[in-house]
Amino acid sequence: MSALRADELEIVEEKDPELNEQQFESRTPWRLAWRRLKKDRVAMVSLGFIVLLILVSLFAPLLTALIGHGPNTQYTTRGLSLSGIPVGPGHNGFLLGTDDQGRDVLSRIIYGSRISLEVGIGATFLALLLGVVVGLFAGYYGGFLDSVLGRFMDILLSFPILLLAIAIVARFGPSLGLLIVVISLFSWPYIGRLVRGQVISLREREFVEAARALGASDLRIMFVEIAPNLVALAVIYATLLIPVNIVLEATLSFLGLGVQPPTASWGNMIAEAQTGDLFTVAWWFLVFPCVALVLTTLAFNLLGDGLRDALDPRYGRSHISPAKRVRRAFRVRRTPPAPEPAEAKA
Amino acid sequence: MTVGPGGVFSRAEGTDEFLLEADDVVKHFPVRGGAFGRSHAAVKAVDGVSFSLRAGETLGLVGESGCGKSTLARLITGLHPVTSGHVRFKGQDITSLQRRQLRPLRRSMQMVFQDPYGSLNPRRRVGSILSDPFSVHEHLSRAEVRRRVQELMARVGLSPEHYNRFPSEFSGGQRQRIGIARALALRPSLIVCDEPVSALDVSIQAQILNLLEDLQAEFMLTYIFIAHDLSVVRHVSNRLAVMYLGKLVETGPTEEIYLNSRHPYTASLLSAVPVADRAFRSERRERIILTGDVPSPVDPPSGCRFHPRCPKAQAVCAVQEPALERKSGDPDGHLTACHFPVVAGEALANASRETAGVTGSGPAEAVHP
Ligand SMILES: Nc1ncnc2c1ncn2[C@@H]1O[C@H](COP(=O)(O)OP(=O)(O)OP(=O)(O)O)[C@@H](O)[C@H]1O
Ligand code: SF4
Ligand SMILES: [Mg+2]
Repeated sequence: MSALRADELEIVEEKDPELNEQQFESRTPWRLAWRRLKKDRVAMVSLGFIVLLILVSLFAPLLTALIGHGPNTQYTTRGLSLSGIPVGPGHNGFLLGTDDQGRDVLSRIIYGSRISLEVGIGATFLALLLGVVVGLFAGYYGGFLDSVLGRFMDILLSFPILLLAIAIVARFGPSLGLLIVVISLFSWPYIGRLVRGQVISLREREFVEAARALGASDLRIMFVEIAPNLVALAVIYATLLIPVNIVLEATLSFLGLGVQPPTASWGNMIAEAQTGDLFTVAWWFLVFPCVALVLTTLAFNLLGDGLRDALDPRYGRSHISPAKRVRRAFRVRRTPPAPEPAEAKA
Repeated sequence: MTVGPGGVFSRAEGTDEFLLEADDVVKHFPVRGGAFGRSHAAVKAVDGVSFSLRAGETLGLVGESGCGKSTLARLITGLHPVTSGHVRFKGQDITSLQRRQLRPLRRSMQMVFQDPYGSLNPRRRVGSILSDPFSVHEHLSRAEVRRRVQELMARVGLSPEHYNRFPSEFSGGQRQRIGIARALALRPSLIVCDEPVSALDVSIQAQILNLLEDLQAEFMLTYIFIAHDLSVVRHVSNRLAVMYLGKLVETGPTEEIYLNSRHPYTASLLSAVPVADRAFRSERRERIILTGDVPSPVDPPSGCRFHPRCPKAQAVCAVQEPALERKSGDPDGHLTACHFPVVAGEALANASRETAGVTGSGPAEAVHP
């Protein structure tokens, strides 16, 4: 190849009237999306909440040490009144009160957030991995492979998840790892179908043909050319799937199939709280875990919505009022393959 | 029809070797739908095209939108399998090769795409896009790949420092330079340029054309240059092929066709070239504006496919398909597929008025400048 022709280079750049450094500078897809997201106040508040939640769950031992109450310690003297009624919020140093066994509700919620995020993010990550790979193959190759994989995903999506989860947990015994695997097993087709659809349109794009003209293999086209274009979709729907999976975990724990007491999970806290009728006088140990669950799922949903707007400006819904978006977020939450949220029962 | 390898196209004497030969190439896309999803109809995108090309030449391929130019380009480069016919590249029949066998040939046969926006992956950095040819075909160290990519960028007039930018950070002209760099990377002998400038601003078109011309001289490239109007092609090609509805209607040396076009369709295309090129339109040429839409390639007209729009059409045109052949008085290599080729001095615009009744739908109308 010829040596660098700097003189020619400069002339060319000067001559090009289309070139306007300021206009094209920093127009990377991600920077543009971040700029749009920053303007979206609802999404930014949600993001702040999620970051806070992640910090809380990471530093759970430190926080509970600061509070001075372990999550599983039963404060039978300080935490329960003489007649065995839990202590209310703000009394005896229990910020959110205690539960029926005299345990600190705040400490348990803090530890419960670890379970929720572990399962929510873990299961979503696995679902994403499986969904993207299967969706890529189904969408790229089409034909017979696509109909087989498509049918398989449809069947999984139409399965009564809870029944199957009960059977699997009954067979293998409850554990956190199993919980993650079972949940991801039923949520990946949701990602898989979306990815498949996207791949079907991406494979017709000219840059895929350009790669083919270079002699790139199918695998290379799928994972080097197409996959980077799925990242936005994956980020959006992962953010929307996390709350679904968090609710699913809560539901399974609520039914006694997930995290086993005394380990705190929002689901089993709610379950324990609503077994007796103590919550009619001591509402706090039922309501606060519910609030934690609702706020968390809401935050993820609103962030997911905001990401969708930011990454794909065609949606352009940021002008809708925050109240309407919150209402919409509740609606979105019920559409993915999740059972009725646990708190509805309580 | 087939152009024999005697070289009706040969400009240069000496070698009889063609770099590329297309022999009655056909591509039909089945139309989906119909009862039980079975298809009987097909889009006859390319319907029997033959030509040959010598190393170092530039063949301009011209025709209206939808006439099958891009499809032909993809058949030549082996991106689509042919329905029938043969494409020989350096004497090797590529239509019978499997995709894997085709891979080594990709090095010497590249394509520049029509859409500078669609042909670059929006989610990959330019440095990464341009390193593709090397990672697919050669085993080089990262540093070496980077060096070569930056060299390439410099050669096509891009700043090598923009290595880490995304395509969206470049203008249309710069993106087309990236596309050209990618095609050039492996030093191919043939580059098919599919309307490389039609999406660009006129002022930038010239820059890109000049770049392509420089590169041709520097790297001994052979081009197939696709365009939908003749004015762009004139500057870059020494041979022309005019395509209409999946078929070649006229082909020959560029200047010969400009000065002495024989096919009414070519004449109408020529009459439409912009003012700047009017010098090349001889006195006799009045502006001929074709009316009527291009007929559907699913069900092309019988006989001569141009007959519903042709100002010279007669009864026989609807029945008998004209062969692509040398017409009397033309030099070797100038072939025309027409029963009634245009003769010098003929006023086509008038002919259109006289034959309007005969041609039925969509007669050509005359506009006197
Ligand atoms: N993959 C495909 N499947 C079905 N039909 C196709 C396909 N590709 C092209 N066609 C059809 O074949 C015909 C020729 O298309 P082609 O893209 O080759 O035209 P073109 O001359 O390049 O047009 P343009 O100037 O608009 O690029 C069109 O009618 C088009 O609809
Ligand atoms: S004169 Fe007849 S054969 Fe010639 S282009 Fe017109 S219709 Fe076709
Ligand atoms: Mg085209």
